[in-house]
Amino acid sequence: MQASNEKYKKNTQTWMGKTVGAEWQYNIFYFLIRCGGRRLAYFLLYFVVFYYVVFAPEQRKKTYFYLSRRFQSRDIFKRFADSYCMVLNFGKTLIDRAITGIMGDQIFKVKFSDKEQLLKLQKRSNGLILMMSHVGCWQVALYALKVLNVPVNLLMHREEGNVDNQYFEQAGLSNMFKIIDPGGYLGGTLEMIEALKNKEVLSVMGDRVIDVTQNVSYAEFLGQEVPFHYSTFKIASVTGSPVVVLFSFKTGPDSYELKIADIIDVPENLGRSEKVFKPYVERYVKALETFTDKHPYQFFNFYDMWNS
Amino acid sequence: MFNICLIAGLIYFYTNNYSYGIWKMALKEDLKKVIVEGLFLEDIKPEEIKDDELLFGNESLGLDSLDAVELVVQIQKHFGVEIKNIEEGTVAFQSINTLAAFIEERQ
Repeated sequence: MQASNEKYKKNTQTWMGKTVGAEWQYNIFYFLIRCGGRRLAYFLLYFVVFYYVVFAPEQRKKTYFYLSRRFQSRDIFKRFADSYCMVLNFGKTLIDRAITGIMGDQIFKVKFSDKEQLLKLQKRSNGLILMMSHVGCWQVALYALKVLNVPVNLLMHREEGNVDNQYFEQAGLSNMFKIIDPGGYLGGTLEMIEALKNKEVLSVMGDRVIDVTQNVSYAEFLGQEVPFHYSTFKIASVTGSPVVVLFSFKTGPDSYELKIADIIDVPENLGRSEKVFKPYVERYVKALETFTDKHPYQFFNFYDMWNS
Repeated sequence: MFNICLIAGLIYFYTNNYSYGIWKMALKEDLKKVIVEGLFLEDIKPEEIKDDELLFGNESLGLDSLDAVELVVQIQKHFGVEIKNIEEGTVAFQSINTLAAFIEERQ
């Protein structure tokens, strides 16, 4: 396992947490949102995405890592269209979350039919671990979690240039969301335990591998083995908190849906071997793959997680 | 009379210190056992862990962030001491010595 990790480390393109586009470009969209709302921002977006897909091949190629596996036999025109759809949807989610930050969360209708199930789970549990993914608009979806009435702790890097941080800072949401930096002391694990002990919500991104040399398990995703962190399942095992696999997806211009794909209870005393956590990683990956079947243009992966 | 009192005092002092030393040594031994067994370490025996050896980071025992999660729970389970936040964890998780001192302070 360690050897394969070493090999992977040499070849892999590590996700850096940086976002395409300069801050001033985002500011143009923020300005348009303030002036003309969602429609005006979307209008500009169609052209901007067209520009990126046609004239920035290096950006377009970033969509191929995922699209070439999701749609295996595609001619050049369909592949181009796939890229356009994927980047356009991604752009829309960026605009949507900016709208939420600027104009409030009432702008979007978020359907959450599993709400009661989540509330029941919260009552019987020592905190909740939400396993989110880079699908739909998880920032908008998180607003639906207000019903839980506890702080939501987001595991994410505090890096300059990361638009997620920009969003939370600009939207002034630091009261509702707390950020736990995995780059902190012991990977932020002590803060995670503290949050769960306080019966708060811990939200992690299951599809983002930050360091392939540590605590990863390989699972087949879209036909190829991919490393995923199993740390979340270890934390679940130790704390007794259930892992709720939650996906959000855009269902209309101003609507989203939030769905529980799986609830994973991890038994105690499983040990420290990667093998014991592999079945739980596979359950998550299976749920993610099912999501990409249903919503192929709402999985926003722009790096080579397969390391082809 | 004075001599008797002095001798009694000395006996009391040494006995107390001696039993305290024994207790502290036993605590450290227990801690090492908890680390090896609770964290499912297979390549190391409790007696091989040095009291001042770093537990985490470079040139350490080799524990990682996930072991820290388990360790927090094991410390609470075996010693009834809760490591409540990152500040406490940073102080306690340096070595067996610091962990023993932390437990002693809170028990």
